[in-house]
Amino acid sequence: MNFVFRDKRISGLLAVVPANEGNFLDEMQNFNFPKNRSLKLKEVMGYDKHRLVESGVCVSDLAVFGLRQLIDRRLLDPADIDALILVTQSPDLLMPPTSSIIQGRLGLKHDMFCLDINQGCAGYVVGLLQAFLLLEQPAVRKVVLVNADVLSRKTSPKDRNSFPLIGDAASISVIERAGDDSVIHANLKMDGTRCEALMIPAGGMRLPSTSATAVLEDVGDGNLRAKDHLRMDGSAVFNFVQTEVPPMIESLLGAAGTPIAAVDWFLFHQPNRFMLQKLADKMQIDHLKMPSNVVEHFGNSSGVTIPMAIAFNLSPRILTERFRVCLAGFGVGLTWGSMLLSLGAMNFCELIDYPNSAEP
Amino acid sequence: MDDFYTKLAEILEVDRVAADDVLSEFEYWDSLTVLSVLAMLDSGYGVNLTAANLRELKQAGELAAVVESRKRK
Repeated sequence: MNFVFRDKRISGLLAVVPANEGNFLDEMQNFNFPKNRSLKLKEVMGYDKHRLVESGVCVSDLAVFGLRQLIDRRLLDPADIDALILVTQSPDLLMPPTSSIIQGRLGLKHDMFCLDINQGCAGYVVGLLQAFLLLEQPAVRKVVLVNADVLSRKTSPKDRNSFPLIGDAASISVIERAGDDSVIHANLKMDGTRCEALMIPAGGMRLPSTSATAVLEDVGDGNLRAKDHLRMDGSAVFNFVQTEVPPMIESLLGAAGTPIAAVDWFLFHQPNRFMLQKLADKMQIDHLKMPSNVVEHFGNSSGVTIPMAIAFNLSPRILTERFRVCLAGFGVGLTWGSMLLSLGAMNFCELIDYPNSAEP
Repeated sequence: MDDFYTKLAEILEVDRVAADDVLSEFEYWDSLTVLSVLAMLDSGYGVNLTAANLRELKQAGELAAVVESRKRK
C-alpha cells in the first residue's frame, strides 16, 4: 500500500538508552556453545555491547524521563502536545494503555489523543504514518511519537539466537506541519500468515503466564528459553528481509521518482550488522550510506533502532543540514514499511542515558 | 561450480568440501553456518533457499545440484 503525505516533518528527536550496559564477551559464557563459535558470531553479526534496563524499569519510565528532559529544557511545551502515540510491544500493563500512563505521569492536558500501537521492528515507520494521518486534522498541530521497548526483560539470557542482539531504548519524536510544499512517500505491507517467525508465546490470553511457561527448555538447538520469552526464527526472518525489503525500496523510490544515488542516507531498522550489509550489497547501496553500527554499540531495540541510527550517526549535522533519507522497518507481524523524506534543520537531535538506580 | 565448494569450505572452516560429504556431519554445521550459507547462495548465485530447504539436502553435492539448477543465468 502506497502513501503520500504533504506538509509534515520530524522537528525533533531524542533517544534514551539505559546507562546499564551488557557485554557479549561476558555473556557468551551463558551460551551452550563452543567459545570459538561464539566469537565467530560476534565478528559476523557485530555483537559487542548492548544497553539493558535494570530490573523493574518499564517503557513509561524511559519515556517520562526523556519527555521531562525536553519539557525542562523548554524544547517541548507540554500544552502543545495534541497527540501522544506510543509504539511498543512491551507495555507497562495489559491495560490501561501505556500512553495513558505516560500522559498521567506528566500531567498532560485532557484535550488530546493517546494511542498505543503494538508494533515491532517496523514500528517507527508505522508510528510516523499514524502521526501524519492525525496531522491531517486541523485540531492536531503537534504529535509526540514515542517508540520504546524493554524486550531484554522478555529474552532468555541463555538464548544465543536473541539475547546477544537485544537492546532496550526509547525514542521521542516530535512531528508537526512543515509549512512548506515537501512531499513524503511511504509504503507498507503485512503478512500475518508468517506471524510466528517473531513471537512471545505466553503472557497473553491464549496462553497466560504460569510457572510452567517460565520453565527454560532446550528448543533443539542448544538454546534455553521459556514460553514467556521472545522467540525468533532467525533464518526465516533473514529470508523474509532479503526477499521483501529490496523490492519494497525499489517500489518506494520508483513511486517517488528518486534514484538510489539521490538518497543521502538509508536509515534502516538494525537487526544486526550481517543482515544490513547483505541488504546493502543486494541493493547495491554503498555501505557508508547505510549505517549498521547501532547493534554493536546499543543492541537491537526493535523499531527504536531507526531513530537511534539517526541520532547516533547524523547528529549534530542534522540540526543545520538537510538530507534526503530512506527509512525502512521490517519484522514482527510480519510487517515491512519504508518512507522517503527530507530530514534536517531539527530543533534537537540527541541520545541520552537513563541513569542507573544507584546514581543520583 | 568449483568456487561453490571453496566458499562452502571457507564457511565451514575446513580445507576442502567434497560432493559426498554429509553437511550435518561438519563440526561447525550450526545456525550461524546455515545463515552464512543462505547468504552466500543469495549473493553469489541469486538462489534464495530457506533453512528448511537446506535441511532436506543431505550431501554437499545435492546442494550444489540445487544451486546449479536455480542459479541466476
